[in-house]
Amino acid sequence: MASPHELIDDRREEGVFRIHRGMFDDPHIFELEMRHIFEGGWVFLGLECQAANAHDYFTVNIGRVPALIQRGGDGVLRGFVNSCPHKGARIAHAACGHARQFVCPYHSWTFDSAGRNKGIKWKQGGCYTPGFDNDSHDLAPLPAFGSYRGFVFGSVSADVPPLAEWLGEAAKLLDLVADQSDEGVELVPGSVTFTYEGNWKLQLENCSDNYHFTSAHPSYIRLLERRKAAEDAASNNFTSAMQSQRHWSGEDDEIVGGTFSFPHGHVLNFGVGSPTPVSPIYERLDWLTEKVGEAHRDWMFNMRNLTIFPNLQVAENAASQLRVIEPLGVNRTRMRTWCIGPKGESAAARRQRIRQYEDFYNPSGMATPDDTVAYEDCQRGFAGKVMPWLQGYQRGMATRGEGASPLADRIGLKPAWSIEGNSRLCDETVYQSYYREWARRMAGAWSA
Amino acid sequence: MGEAHGGGLVGMSLFMTRSEAEDLLFSEARALDERRFDDWLAMFADDAEYWVPAWKDETTPTSDPGSELSLIYYEGKQNLADRIWRLNSGLSNASEIPARVVHMIGNVIVESAQAGGAVILSAFNVHRYDPRTDRSHVFFGHYRHVFRQEEEQWLIAAKTITLLNDCIPTVADVYML
Repeated sequence: MASPHELIDDRREEGVFRIHRGMFDDPHIFELEMRHIFEGGWVFLGLECQAANAHDYFTVNIGRVPALIQRGGDGVLRGFVNSCPHKGARIAHAACGHARQFVCPYHSWTFDSAGRNKGIKWKQGGCYTPGFDNDSHDLAPLPAFGSYRGFVFGSVSADVPPLAEWLGEAAKLLDLVADQSDEGVELVPGSVTFTYEGNWKLQLENCSDNYHFTSAHPSYIRLLERRKAAEDAASNNFTSAMQSQRHWSGEDDEIVGGTFSFPHGHVLNFGVGSPTPVSPIYERLDWLTEKVGEAHRDWMFNMRNLTIFPNLQVAENAASQLRVIEPLGVNRTRMRTWCIGPKGESAAARRQRIRQYEDFYNPSGMATPDDTVAYEDCQRGFAGKVMPWLQGYQRGMATRGEGASPLADRIGLKPAWSIEGNSRLCDETVYQSYYREWARRMAGAWSA
Repeated sequence: MGEAHGGGLVGMSLFMTRSEAEDLLFSEARALDERRFDDWLAMFADDAEYWVPAWKDETTPTSDPGSELSLIYYEGKQNLADRIWRLNSGLSNASEIPARVVHMIGNVIVESAQAGGAVILSAFNVHRYDPRTDRSHVFFGHYRHVFRQEEEQWLIAAKTITLLNDCIPTVADVYML
């Protein structure tokens, strides 16, 4: 089996960074990723608003581990392994719901909404030894669990840094989402799930990839031009924030965007925008200016693709999407996706937000499929290891700069690494941050 | 009962019969299967609504496109024309080697029929074969068509596609639904 240094050729000082194709199609590596990354540290679980009231719950997977996130009668949100201590059956089956108690459908062990065992069927007649009660009969709590500004995270390993430390400066980028309303952010009702036949890291990278936009999405770009030309009343639903931004066009020589990297593999890819009526938050421009100040307000109108490693992506570009990456196999990934928006948005702005979302995202939209089909082509291409080292990690290598940038400084953000440039730079060194964190987390797999 | 002719029907009756409804639905299916997209577009009224709801949970599709997410929601035939433009543009990687599809439609019910208007319910399977990846898939669910008579033709005023298996393998474009 390949070890990390056989998959990652990281020689920054010599100007070299390459990833071996086996990174994406070796089933042994996938097993280790499940154990050491998805089941070995913090992952994103959902938003607090998915279980807003007492006894509300939602279910997710942490790697391969089914988890139950539930708000108890005391109003406290908790996370559990969704598995009966008796024989292991999942006790919650729906994606979300409301339950004062769960009765395991297999042998009727019963749990309240705080995970406490409230009943073992026929315990008195069961001839248990006294030692039986030495084990807790409650649901196993997640060893690490917490939330930040409504974003809920958990871990099935206790060996993690505190959540605030793990998020670090990247938390300020979640603030840019959460601060769009006094009441925080919410998911628009209705979620969309799709799969693609490719490795999960293809999605990880694509979110941070400025280089592909004009290559993979010319049909979308041309369509925006067609609509603008037609000025068709029926098309007015489909104005796009991309129309007023130029960071993707390849036509600008000034600084129009870049990438920030943070410890623990979190990254941002951004493009400079400006307040525009085609953005649904334009209606709260004055309120935002007062609430967060001009600099933070302007950053809210920037194109921002945020990855909280390894499974959360918040994309605010043509529209606003929250997505969760669920690896199913070395060459199969499930994406769970939602439209996010500030609570308290006007009906008109919400409608505009939803239409922009459906237009661009969704496996039935006009941009996302052009990405996912490309992932599948990559996955098939990875089988070819005659030239095993991929060359897609080196754009920007000659400009690499440590520490803050003028644009980050405006909002007091301190990235560990930052790259800013014109619209043709399309930095790829940002992916290196993913793989350095990957190597750090996976190191235990080979030292054990 | 009418005979399929282009996008509409001739010899139509004022109150749609199930037989007429079937002819229309089957003609629409055939146009999509054969990629005669102009014929397909011609079956829609200019202000047609085209809606593929998303799902809120295991049992409930979204019901208000204004405040809830859909897979696709269009008001106006022009938006469908845009989709067809994209399919034919040569600029969409996902559309470049087209999937082969067969729409199978059954269980057709005339839910209501007034003079010059009708609501038709049906069930569908769409068999999709993607030659690019050698994969087959079946999308299935329910259609709800609202037809309206305009100038001696039945036109689709609204079409709702409730997709029951909504965990979508990579792509679901309008000709696959």
